[in-house]
Amino acid sequence: MSEQTGKQLSKEEKDARFEAELLPVLDPLYNFAYRLTLDEDDANDLVQETYLKAYRFFDYFEQGTNAKAWLFRILKNSFINEFRKKSKQPAKVDYSEVEGYYNSDDVEGEGGVASTTDMRTESVQDLIGDEVASALNALPVDFRTVIILCDLEGFTYEEMAKILDIPIGTVRSRLHRARNSLKEKLEKYAKSMGYNS
Amino acid sequence: MESRFTETHQKLSEDGHESECDKIAHLLDLMIDGEASTEEQAYFNTHIEECVPCFESHQKQKLLKGLVSGHLKRVIVPESLALSIKARIQETV
Ligand SMILES: [Zn+2]
Repeated sequence: MSEQTGKQLSKEEKDARFEAELLPVLDPLYNFAYRLTLDEDDANDLVQETYLKAYRFFDYFEQGTNAKAWLFRILKNSFINEFRKKSKQPAKVDYSEVEGYYNSDDVEGEGGVASTTDMRTESVQDLIGDEVASALNALPVDFRTVIILCDLEGFTYEEMAKILDIPIGTVRSRLHRARNSLKEKLEKYAKSMGYNS
Repeated sequence: MESRFTETHQKLSEDGHESECDKIAHLLDLMIDGEASTEEQAYFNTHIEECVPCFESHQKQKLLKGLVSGHLKRVIVPESLALSIKARIQETV
């Protein structure tokens, strides 16, 4: 392994290594892109671009280091440099429509006659999920980003600082403010559902 | 009168019960994100054992994190995406 460092790999070897190390991050990366752009096509483009950039710089990527954080960082930079400019203020996406579409498989399931109790529980879960999604989407993109990285992807503060190019102190305060605004948005909903705030 | 005294007393005594709760508030995120040091954890846990408001804010903060980690739906990656990434990479010299 380490004997080979710096030696030219054949293109096949390089491609194989690239796929083995970086493609497993595709799912979280696409989800991150989607939460940033709120658009499937944009997320698609952004992820492709991220992988092409990563491929170009793959020689600088040290094997065994944090591939996920590295890719997230590239994606976030691409988003800031290109997508953010061109993206019109994200129109109010109809979330339930998009997510309903993605989940249509579970809903339709052939059995069809799933017990009503299960169905009911599931749709309550869906409601909460939709509500969390729309509260999150209503946040400024910087706030949305730290919440996704921390709560959904489980990055540490240190990793987040590297991905976002900001000091850890800024990560902490941004996360704190982000959570406060998310809380505010969700509290309205919680009240309407009869929870105590 | 008496109860009023107690409130004020609680807030200001031992130059500051209040500031201790403030410190706890600053540790909330560290605690729920697993970023607090051992000392911070000990300090935090001791405090919330006897301070109901701080105990409650801890519960709320955990709940909030759980809403995102447990309820936000993941979108499904289009099947074509991995294929087109592989294809474009193979074209790249
Ligand atoms: Zn307290």
